[in-house]
Amino acid sequence: MRSMLGVLLFCLVLNGQAPPDQKQLNLASFEKIWTTIRDKHWEKNPGGLDWQAIHEEFRPKMEKAANSEEALALMREMLGRLHQTHFAIFPASVLDDVDVEAMGDGSPGMDVRVLDDEVVVVRLDPGSPAEKAGVQLGWKIVGVDGKDLAPLILKLKSDPAVHELTLERAVAARLSGIAGGNLRVRFVDGANRERMLELGLAPARGQLARFGNLPPQHVWFESKRIEDTGYVAFNMFLDLPRVMTGFGSAVTGCAQCRGFIIDLRGNPGGIGGMAMGMAGWLVSAQDERLGTLYLRDGTIKFVINPRLEAFNGPVAILVDGTSASTAEIFAGGLQDLHRARIFGTRTAAAALPSVIEKLPNGDGFQYAIANYISEGGKPLEGVGVTPDTELKLTRKALLTGRDPVIDAALEWIHNEARESAK
Amino acid sequence: MTRTSAIALGFFIASSLTWAADEPLPKAETVLDHYIEVTGGKEAYLQRKTEVSTGSFEIPAQGIKGTLTRYDADPDKSYAVVEIEGVGKIESGTGDGLAWERSLISGPRVLSGEEKAQALRENTFNAELNWRKIYSKVETTGVETVDGEECYKLVLTPKEGRPETTYYQKSTGLAVKMNTTLVSTMGELPVEATMGDYREFGGVLVATRITQKAAGTEVTRTIQTMKVNEEIPAGRFDLPADIKALLDKATAGAKK
Repeated sequence: MRSMLGVLLFCLVLNGQAPPDQKQLNLASFEKIWTTIRDKHWEKNPGGLDWQAIHEEFRPKMEKAANSEEALALMREMLGRLHQTHFAIFPASVLDDVDVEAMGDGSPGMDVRVLDDEVVVVRLDPGSPAEKAGVQLGWKIVGVDGKDLAPLILKLKSDPAVHELTLERAVAARLSGIAGGNLRVRFVDGANRERMLELGLAPARGQLARFGNLPPQHVWFESKRIEDTGYVAFNMFLDLPRVMTGFGSAVTGCAQCRGFIIDLRGNPGGIGGMAMGMAGWLVSAQDERLGTLYLRDGTIKFVINPRLEAFNGPVAILVDGTSASTAEIFAGGLQDLHRARIFGTRTAAAALPSVIEKLPNGDGFQYAIANYISEGGKPLEGVGVTPDTELKLTRKALLTGRDPVIDAALEWIHNEARESAK
Repeated sequence: MTRTSAIALGFFIASSLTWAADEPLPKAETVLDHYIEVTGGKEAYLQRKTEVSTGSFEIPAQGIKGTLTRYDADPDKSYAVVEIEGVGKIESGTGDGLAWERSLISGPRVLSGEEKAQALRENTFNAELNWRKIYSKVETTGVETVDGEECYKLVLTPKEGRPETTYYQKSTGLAVKMNTTLVSTMGELPVEATMGDYREFGGVLVATRITQKAAGTEVTRTIQTMKVNEEIPAGRFDLPADIKALLDKATAGAKK
C-alpha cells in the first residue's frame, strides 16, 4: 500500500483545443482506463455496473469531445459512476504541484499541518536546523523561497481529485529539498510578527529503508514514557525489522505501564501486514481480525496473531487527516474490536491498495485493486476512521507548548486505570 | 550434452512412446508412477535421505527479492528460511506432526487444521515417491494444453484438505502446472503454480523454478544449489524457543 504519488513523473499540460494527435491520446487514455477497470477491479461487474454498456455509452462521447477539458470531464464522469473512491484522474498540471518525489530528501526538521488553511509547525526534530534556528511549535509558515503558500493551498483545495492527504504532502514537499541546501522560510511567530529564516536542509530524520520498488524512505521510530504511560510514534509502516522490533520492545518493556499511546498522526501507512503484527502485541484473544481485504479472486483476512507477552492495559491511538492506509487499518480495526480508543481528527480515508499509472495523454490514473472492510463492517475508504474523541490540533495550544490530543489520551488512560483499580 | 541431460532426454523419449494420441486416458496412478520414473526412478528417490538447498525468492512486479535456504530430511522434517530486504527472516518448519512459522511481522505461530495438513503434505520428504501415502484419491480427468504442450490433467485429493489439479506433460511425463488453494488463517486463495527448469540433483530431476500466481501477485522461487545426503547441522530441526513456549501454553491450557 504505497504512497499514491510517489512514482509519478508527468510532463504534459492539458489546455485549449485538442489537436488531432491529442484527441487520439485522449481516446487511448479512455480505453486504458476502461480496460484497466474491466480487468483489475475487485468486482467482476465493477460497482454493480454493466461495464460493457458503460463503454458503449462513453466511447462515442469521447470521440466527439472538442478539447482535452471535455475529455477529462467525460472520463471523470465515467469513473464517478462507480461511486467508489481511489478512482481518480489527476490532470498533469495538478500533478506538477503534488509530485513530491522531485523535491529531494533534505529537510529542515519540522512537520507541518494545514490548520484552518494555515500552514503551522506541529513537530520539531531534536537538534534539527529548524530547532537550532529558534523555530517554535505553532509558528505559521506563509512562504518558502519567495513563494506564498496560500495560493497553492487554494488551488489544490479547489480540485476534487486532491484530498487532504495529498494537500498535506504537497505542502510538506515545499519544505524539503536537496540535503545540504537551504530554504528561505517566512514565518509568523507566536506574537504574530513575521520572521524570515534561512534554514539548512539536513538529511531527513530516521534511517533510509528500502522495500521493493518503493523509493528509499527515511523511517524513524520513537519510544518513550510519558509519566507512567508508554508512548510510541513512527512515521511509516516500513523498515519492518527495526520498527517491529522497536514496537515489540516498547510493549514488553511497558508491561506494568498504566496505558499505551500509539501516535499515528502523519503516518501514511506502508506494509499492510505490519498492522496485524502490531495488533498482536495488544490483543490477547485468539481468532480476532482487523478487517478483510477483498480481491477479485479471493479474500485476505487481516488476522491478529496474539503474542504471549501482549499488553492488556488501555490503548490510545492518535490520528489525523494524514494518517492513511495501514495506519487506518490498524486504528480502525482496533477501534472496531473495542481494544483501543481513538483520539484526534478523522483519518485520510485512503485505505485501499491503489496504483497510479501514467495515461497516454500524460494525466495520472489512480485505481484501487481491492476493497477493504474493517472488522466492524464499514469500509475505511472514503470514510476513514472517526475518532472516539474528536480533537483538533490548534495553533493556540501548540504555542503554549501543549498537545491537546496527547493530553486527552493521557487523561482517558488515567481514568481507565482508576476505574479498573476500583 | 551432459550425461544428466542425456539421461533425462532418454526418459522423455521413453515417456513419449508410452501413450498414443488416440488411446484412452491413462490411469492417474500410471501417470504418477511414470513421473517417478522420468525424474529418476524409485531407487534414486530411496537413496535420498536429506537435502540442503539454496535459492532465491522474488516478487518481480514489486521489486522484492530475497534468499531461500532449506533443510529437509526423511521422512518429514523440514526447516526453511526466506530473508527479504526490508522484511527480515521468515522461518518455517515441520516435523513430528507439527508445523510452525515465525517472523518479525507476525511472531511465532503453530499451524493447525487444514493449514497444518497442507504444510505437512508439502514438506513430506520424497513426496513424489510417496504419493500413495498423501492422496486418498487420484483421477485423470482430461487432456489440456499448457504452454503449447498437451498435458494429462490429474485431480489429486489429499487425505486431509482440498483437491489439487496437476498437469503432466504427455511428451516428457513431467509436472508443469498445478492449481491448488492456499489455506491459512488469513483465508483461502486460489493459486496457480508453474514448474520448470528441471535439473538433476542426486539422481533425481527437480523443478528448480516454481512460479506461483495468487491474488494478482506472482512469486518466483528458484533453486540454485541442492546437496543431497548432506549432513544436517545438529539442532537444525529443533523447535525455536518461542514456538516451544506456545506449545507449552497450549498444553497447560488443555490440562486446565
